[in-house]
Amino acid sequence: MSFYNFRLFFYSLLLAGWFISCQEKEQSFVLEYPDYFPKPVYGFDNNPLTREGFILGRELFFDPILSADNSISCETCHAQAHSFADHNLTFSTGINNQTGLRNSPAIINAAWQPSFMWDGGVNHIEVMPFAPITNPIEMAEDFNNLIRELNEHPRYPQMFREAFGNPEINSQKILYALAQYMSVLVSKDSKYDKVRTGNADFTEDEGAGYTLFKNYCAQCHVEPLFSDFSYRNNGLADVNGDTGRGRITLDPEDNFTFKVPTLRNISLTYPYMHDGRFRNLRQVLDHYSEGITAHHNTDPSILKSGKNGMNFSETEKQELESFLRTLTDYTFISNPHFSN
Amino acid sequence: MKYFQILILVFLALTLTLSSCKKDDTTEGPEAGTVVLDFDHVFGPDQLEFSLNKEFTHPLLGEKMNFNIFQYYVSNVRLKKTDGSWYTVPESYYLLDLSKTDGNKIEIDNVPGGEYTDVELLYGVDSTRNVSGAQTGALDPANGMFWSWNSGYIMVKAEGTSPNSATGTFTFHLGGFKGEFRVPKSFTYSLNDKLVVDGDREAEIHMISNVARLWHSADKLSVKSSHTMPGQIAKTMSGTFYDAIKFDHIHN
Ligand code: HEC
Ligand code: HEC
Repeated sequence: MSFYNFRLFFYSLLLAGWFISCQEKEQSFVLEYPDYFPKPVYGFDNNPLTREGFILGRELFFDPILSADNSISCETCHAQAHSFADHNLTFSTGINNQTGLRNSPAIINAAWQPSFMWDGGVNHIEVMPFAPITNPIEMAEDFNNLIRELNEHPRYPQMFREAFGNPEINSQKILYALAQYMSVLVSKDSKYDKVRTGNADFTEDEGAGYTLFKNYCAQCHVEPLFSDFSYRNNGLADVNGDTGRGRITLDPEDNFTFKVPTLRNISLTYPYMHDGRFRNLRQVLDHYSEGITAHHNTDPSILKSGKNGMNFSETEKQELESFLRTLTDYTFISNPHFSN
Repeated sequence: MKYFQILILVFLALTLTLSSCKKDDTTEGPEAGTVVLDFDHVFGPDQLEFSLNKEFTHPLLGEKMNFNIFQYYVSNVRLKKTDGSWYTVPESYYLLDLSKTDGNKIEIDNVPGGEYTDVELLYGVDSTRNVSGAQTGALDPANGMFWSWNSGYIMVKAEGTSPNSATGTFTFHLGGFKGEFRVPKSFTYSLNDKLVVDGDREAEIHMISNVARLWHSADKLSVKSSHTMPGQIAKTMSGTFYDAIKFDHIHN
């Protein structure tokens, strides 16, 4: 091989290498969602979504290594069968059987959420896991201890290398991986979605319920994510000293307002409201219909139809409930990629 | 094809020689070097030398306080050149931690050679980094300076023991970056003289930081009440503390 031929060979190697790396990029994961969804809030700016990052995040999510005594995983309080809410517990049980004061929410379509927690105290999906991991009543783990444990683990250093190019484990990579996993938990295959895409029809009851929903509920539970992510007071009685959003903004006007939750998979995530006070959807509808307690900042849209609420008839309640059940996504809760 | 290869080789050789020539040129002006910001910590009007695990007296209330943690953020350092232009230090976040040897010093490498007349500092962490997700380095949440339940950095952390407090301890975690309770505060100090940065030449900026100033505000905050959230108290305490940080001298 002459010198020049050798150089040519070398250049073609370089070129081939470049093509291969491009192909790898093409194979990389993309967040899939229907065209009627808005653009996600989380853009993976510093944390490009990859298959390996997602797999690492999934492994971490299901691993009790994230807690001080290796007894509690994220999944303990966020189970796939319940759309990543708790197993129908009012208050979740953390380390040493401690319980908190709020109901564990579903983790669905998290990449679209501008803030997290019932009071919106957490402002970014990447720092979200930091709260339960370090909370003394949830996982009570010290991050430096966690990093040590992961470094000594037979599999994790290799998984971090695959996900981020080198085996160094730090808090940022742990949080990045969990953010990737949570972002991929997209629920988009409910009957409601099939109707929207023309692949199914509502029954008469469901259709009537949908009309009622659009008239009474959709200004807060905005389609297609079923939340506008604002903070509102929906007229719950005795809000138990939990000041909600007010604790974060320190504005008394915001006291007792809470984040409008998504209603996707709502049939799977009972009990309902930030403190899990309602056991079933009927109780929720009774509340909106005739159980409203007016606070100084109860949302006017809830009060407009009458003193105690929206005054639904028995039939209307049944229709609304039928519609809410069309939001259940069985593909989501049985998706094998979401579980380890 | 062969001509093309040769052309490329010639081009490569040329760029190599050209770039190495350039390197030679730069050695003639002042070289990039390290600037050290050294914070001297004192306590109270008598400027007692401050350190952890030593008893001090509350400047207004006479309560005894013995610190075991004192940490705070300094960020966004900029240096003004004699020609009036500013050098902005990239990724400029530092956690001063008095439990560590040299934890009161900030080392800034690769500052372009030249003469500087002013330094600008932001005490605390700018709002952008409070809302930008998982950070690393000085801003790593594992440093214990991040509120998990109300995302944002603890910009000043002071903890210790006091016989005057019912619990025997005091805890002040001050931060907040929103609206009227915004804690981070920017200051520009004139260095009085010219700070020369040139390779290994020493370039130190000495500051004096009075820890007692945290408790020196009009509302006479006691060590009996702890504060661990954003709000008016965090703003007042950190504000009086930051306001009193003084430029002292430079070492060249
Ligand atoms: C001990 C039970 C428990 C564990 C363990 C737990 N969580 Fe949670 N999670 C909750 C509760 C309760 C809330 C609501 C807290 C609030 O709003 O104050 C919550 C809220 C969330 C939210 C916000 C959802 C929303 O819509 O705002 C996300 C995301 C989340 N958790 C992810 C995780 C991850 C990731 C882990 C593991 C690192 C985890 N959780 C571990 C109980 C738990
Ligand atoms: C003014 C805005 C608003 C309107 C209108 C509204 N909601 Fe809500 N909804 C909320 C807020 C805020 C919460 C959370 C309240 C809390 O936990 O304190 C909530 C909670 C819920 C929950 C519990 C979700 C969970 O995960 O626990 C259900 C179910 C629900 N709403 C259904 C409805 C239905 C059905 C309607 C119409 C009949 C409706 N909402 C109208 C704001 C609204």
